[in-house]
Amino acid sequence: MRNFVTLLVKEEKAIFSSPIAFAIVAVYLLLMGYTFTLMLFLNRTAELVRVFFQAAVLFLLIVPVITMRLLAEERRNGTLEILLTSPVREIEIVLAKFAASLTLLGLMLSLTAVDAIVLGVYADPDWGPIYSGFLGLLLLAAALAAIGLAVSGLTSNQIVAAVVAMGVGILLWMIDSIGYLLPDPFDTIVTNLSLVAHFTPFATGAVFLSDLGFFLTVILVGLLVSMRTLARR
Amino acid sequence: MSAVIVAEQLTKWYGPRLAVDHVSFTVGAGEIMGLLGPNGSGKTTILRIFTGYLRPSSGTARIAGLDVVADAPAARRRVGYVPEDAPLYLGMGVREFLIFMGRLKGLTRASLGAAVDAATERLRLGPMRTAQIGRLSRGYRQRVAIAQALLGDPPLLILDEPTNGLDPRQIIEMRELIRSLGGERTIVVTSHILGEIQRVADRVAILLAGQLLGVHAVRASREGGRLRLRIRGEEERVSACLAGVPGVAAVRLESQRGSSPPVYLVDAEHPSVAEAVAGAVITAGFGLLSLESMPVDLEALFLKLTGDRAEAGG
Repeated sequence: MRNFVTLLVKEEKAIFSSPIAFAIVAVYLLLMGYTFTLMLFLNRTAELVRVFFQAAVLFLLIVPVITMRLLAEERRNGTLEILLTSPVREIEIVLAKFAASLTLLGLMLSLTAVDAIVLGVYADPDWGPIYSGFLGLLLLAAALAAIGLAVSGLTSNQIVAAVVAMGVGILLWMIDSIGYLLPDPFDTIVTNLSLVAHFTPFATGAVFLSDLGFFLTVILVGLLVSMRTLARR
Repeated sequence: MSAVIVAEQLTKWYGPRLAVDHVSFTVGAGEIMGLLGPNGSGKTTILRIFTGYLRPSSGTARIAGLDVVADAPAARRRVGYVPEDAPLYLGMGVREFLIFMGRLKGLTRASLGAAVDAATERLRLGPMRTAQIGRLSRGYRQRVAIAQALLGDPPLLILDEPTNGLDPRQIIEMRELIRSLGGERTIVVTSHILGEIQRVADRVAILLAGQLLGVHAVRASREGGRLRLRIRGEEERVSACLAGVPGVAAVRLESQRGSSPPVYLVDAEHPSVAEAVAGAVITAGFGLLSLESMPVDLEALFLKLTGDRAEAGG
């Protein structure tokens, strides 16, 4: 636990001392603010469904940029060797990096909560879908962060890590489309791998344990693969 | 001398490539062992196995009796490691980095500050303690890397090519530092430069293509070496005179060609013996025609061993 905290503090400093984090947050807020304003004036309804989908698509692009350096940079600079030859366990390294990236994503989500506050001040929204939407976004962000971390552990090139993680995320987002072309039971299997299929209920106000379990499974698999990339060969 | 490091039939395969081939050696407490070999000879792989970064394909590696695979965390606590090119977190300050590493090495809050201060002082990093590592010179970065390795006072220090990329002055400083660290702890140091190993190590293990060609003592060559003298005078009296000089371990007649004065080879125990030998020869009234200092030639030894292996292979 002590090592986890030490590594987490180091990662938080690395993230928040980098101009990349501020650029990402600024661009995210700008695009989300634009979407929220547009939706509000076009639809004139007190809901955030479209905002949640907009945020989800942005996360597909942004999260890999946040996670690309986590392990790839350590591998390229050789500092991974220092970490792995210290009395530190792989799980502590992986969890600290995962938690640090979630901190930034959590900050971005909490800043998006301003949209909900605006709705609450000027209208009477249905809060259920708003809460579930934010929960869904948090789970999606965490799943994408776990995927990004695993990919970052497989290479020493940050650009490769970002592009591959982006590709995996986008493929999983839209993989349900191909399900329509496949015979039973493959159509069900492929559809159940889809990020959008499991995110949509959250965004529209329905929380199913199966969706929750899916995201937790993706997170777990991502973290296990990340640990595997650090395993001594 | 109890062995701090024991390698038994250590073997490492990278896929189909054999990087370390059944290597066995021991390093005693307080000893400085040099691993010498050309690039790709398996030096770094052996070090990485001992630091726990790599697993051996077969064979065992033990540090202070602890198996580096079965007792990995405990074994790692006994090693201070400086990888090649001293990788560091360039965005961190020197003290910040040392505190970070100290925490990872399990130093308690009470002992952390004192340990960091001691390492900072030992490596003469005081003026740089608040400097960002990325702004330091190569020599200072190497010192920071060694300072982190000393945290927790491990009995074993592993240094991979510690003089790489340093300027001549920094190389001399690094050499002195390594020698000053020896004795109080066991050190394993690698280099592909013969002279570096010869100057710092007590023994050297020569590696080629993953195989250990031999382990040789170099302390004697560094501290004394061999003198080659051409002296005019009666052979028996000259030999007796030379053998009587304090610090002379052995005297041998090398050659005598025709009427030219013979050449004597004198094994000296320390460098100052040369002066004493010259004084004794002159005082005794012999004609000292030449005196050369010939340290044991590690280069020749290396070439011989690697040449033998090449012949055996070819």
